[in-house]
Amino acid sequence: MAAKGFLADYRVLDLTDHRGALAGHMLAQLGADVIQVEPPGGSAARLQPPFAPDWPVGENSLFWAAYGSGKRSIVCDPNTAEGLKALHRLVATADCLFESAAPAEGRPPWLDPAALAAVNPRLIQVSITPFGLTGPKRDWADSEITLWAAAGPLLLTRGLDDHPLRISAPQAYLHAAGDAAGAALIAHFARLASDEGQHIDISVQQCVPQATLSAVLAKAVEHKDFVPRPPPPGAQAEAKGPDLSGSGSRTRRSKWSVSDGLAEMHLGLGPAVGGSTNKLFAWMRREGALEERFWDWDWTTLHRRLASGDLTEADLDAARDAVAAFMLTLRKQDLMTIAIEDGIRVAPVETISDLLASPHEAARGFFRTINGPFGDYQAPGPFAVGAADGFVDIRPGPRLGEHTAEILASLPSETAESAR
Amino acid sequence: MTAQPMQGVKVLDLAWVVAGPLIGRSLADYGATVVRIESSRRVETARLMGPFPNGVFDVQQCTLYENTNAGKLGLALDLRRPEAQAVVRDLAAWADIAVESFTPGQMAKWGLDYAVLSAINPSLIMVSTSLMGQSGPYSGFSGYGNHGAAIAGFQNIVGPVGGPPVGPFGPYTDFVAPRFGLVAVLAALDHQRRTGEGCYLDVSQAEAGMQFLAPQIADASVTGRNQACAGNRDVGMTPHGVYRSLGWDNWVAIAARDDAEWAALATLVGGETLAGDPRFTSLEGRKADEDALDALIEAWTSGRPTDDIETALQAVGVPVHRLVATEDFMTDPQLIERGHFVRLDHPLMGQAVVEASHYRMSKTPAEYQRSAPTYGRDNEHVLRDLLGYDDARIATLKEADVLV
Repeated sequence: MAAKGFLADYRVLDLTDHRGALAGHMLAQLGADVIQVEPPGGSAARLQPPFAPDWPVGENSLFWAAYGSGKRSIVCDPNTAEGLKALHRLVATADCLFESAAPAEGRPPWLDPAALAAVNPRLIQVSITPFGLTGPKRDWADSEITLWAAAGPLLLTRGLDDHPLRISAPQAYLHAAGDAAGAALIAHFARLASDEGQHIDISVQQCVPQATLSAVLAKAVEHKDFVPRPPPPGAQAEAKGPDLSGSGSRTRRSKWSVSDGLAEMHLGLGPAVGGSTNKLFAWMRREGALEERFWDWDWTTLHRRLASGDLTEADLDAARDAVAAFMLTLRKQDLMTIAIEDGIRVAPVETISDLLASPHEAARGFFRTINGPFGDYQAPGPFAVGAADGFVDIRPGPRLGEHTAEILASLPSETAESAR
Repeated sequence: MTAQPMQGVKVLDLAWVVAGPLIGRSLADYGATVVRIESSRRVETARLMGPFPNGVFDVQQCTLYENTNAGKLGLALDLRRPEAQAVVRDLAAWADIAVESFTPGQMAKWGLDYAVLSAINPSLIMVSTSLMGQSGPYSGFSGYGNHGAAIAGFQNIVGPVGGPPVGPFGPYTDFVAPRFGLVAVLAALDHQRRTGEGCYLDVSQAEAGMQFLAPQIADASVTGRNQACAGNRDVGMTPHGVYRSLGWDNWVAIAARDDAEWAALATLVGGETLAGDPRFTSLEGRKADEDALDALIEAWTSGRPTDDIETALQAVGVPVHRLVATEDFMTDPQLIERGHFVRLDHPLMGQAVVEASHYRMSKTPAEYQRSAPTYGRDNEHVLRDLLGYDDARIATLKEADVLV
């Protein structure tokens, strides 16, 4: 028997566009009945890139294929009297409703939490908006990149020329949508005790700072230059302390060329991460790839030798050069084995196609083929392995209004409802 | 008073660094009793990473650690010791949920794997979060989130057009994975409530990260295309970028989501001449000369104060926001109004500042009971009140040097 999923008993109404589509998709993966409630023209999520070149325009969004998958679709325009009635009939049967109407665009009155609670007091309504539903910036126009700026990670992510860079695939709303799914379930537990739903107000700007590793709190403890910024022109170049922050916070110097691509490796020093560098140097020494002058270097305490002047930045650069030369003799496919067998913290910098070809993910059966209406595509599978009954095989992203008739037919009749 | 949503839920938290501990942090915010196990003899990485008060390194005063562990109780245990492992097994009998993030195989070496713990408590939900997951040829890979970001495809898609890639800030998959871990745990908890059945959840940080690239993965599978470094460009919006504003290292992000927003932006930057320039009225036209447009915009922004640019563009509905520096984050009026900064008493720092829960709930708002534990802060309470140990048992553990 096919798994029903942990959340098979629950119904979710998804009124989001691309700014929240992941939330419903996550719950659908766990078996919830997620109904995308779409305006007559379809959710804006259907118009998001990337596009499949051979699929019909309007039905070719691979964003939709990915995050619409697992859901059913109903067309409903609550701006009409009939549509509003249909929405209320749906709301009466739902456990949870996600929506992402930004205040700057004018939130429709039918999304007012009091109005929806009047229809179903047990409803959990989650609003995902750029800055939240209160505060001086609630009405600010937004886009993915401006939220990445407002929440901190954009200034922290610098190119080699210090120009701030975003991630080349939109991420900000995904962080908020992931939080929305968690929030809905926490509110579900509150409802088990109280039998009451509630409204949850999620601000993207408050979700994304998680991607700064708490650097956004540096000012609270007056940790100056926690993530150093470029010095102003003409300023005396200060003697900069080494990066002891560990865990590759500053990744731009952590790319190394191997023979067929790039490797990720933080040449860490200091107590947090110096041990891994020691293992790398021990290995290079065994391979005859390390000059004797580096043999006694202990990277867990190297910052002290640098501070005392016993070693110089030039010595450190020479060590980096030795590592760079050695890395060029390696291949991407060897790196995971090296990391596992020698305890060296190195990894291949994978392309998206590499992910799909990964022997590891193949062994775990992670990627799934979804038979879309216009062709097959690959999608990430369950986000937790081990509880086979917890997750379900998901349907492709639905066509617009594909399930309108079946959903409407399944709802309690209006007479029964008004008698309730 | 309304009960907290997770009140009565008991969590054994053996996780460290970021991805694992954030699951317990969210549960603690909403009323769960979370017992965090750690040993001062093996300092957990998050404690080493800062920010620190006045920049002075101190593993007991680390803001990242505070932010990921606020609200939890702390029990110090040297897990290498059999006596400590016995305490963990008692806590597994007590708990509804166990979270751990050791290298796969480590828990089994301590006799604390799911097979053992579920025999003690069949309704236990155990989540293991690791970089690569518990099975598969690379499960033994031990690394941080920046390696996870490389393996999950993120390191390759941050950089100027044409590369070279520089990667995202920090251990990116650490920021993504806890959201999936939390949802999986809560769904399993609801299942447990209805059926009495526990389960084991194997969360791979790399796989969680890939969930955030699902459209790009679908694209590669259908077209063979690989998302590449695109600078700050966007396929569907132009202009779209980061531009210098007046002063050193000041920047604004600007996006024109459609032709109307371009017209509004262009009117400010170049008057009717630019707004009416037929070369730029369509997205295709703007894409054809994106470098020139970016130069025009930066010529305009670079001479203006950030405040003025935000005011001018927001007045006409064009998305703009300054790139908030860590020095300025805590003075953002929006974040202040939203109550984003939570101040908690702390025995060494006086006060610890952590970020608020990401959810503002109308009826059951988050409550922040306590700062993250200093080593062994709650030993007595956990052993005596939660586990029911008597004086003699506690004394034995102390004498055996296990509670450290």
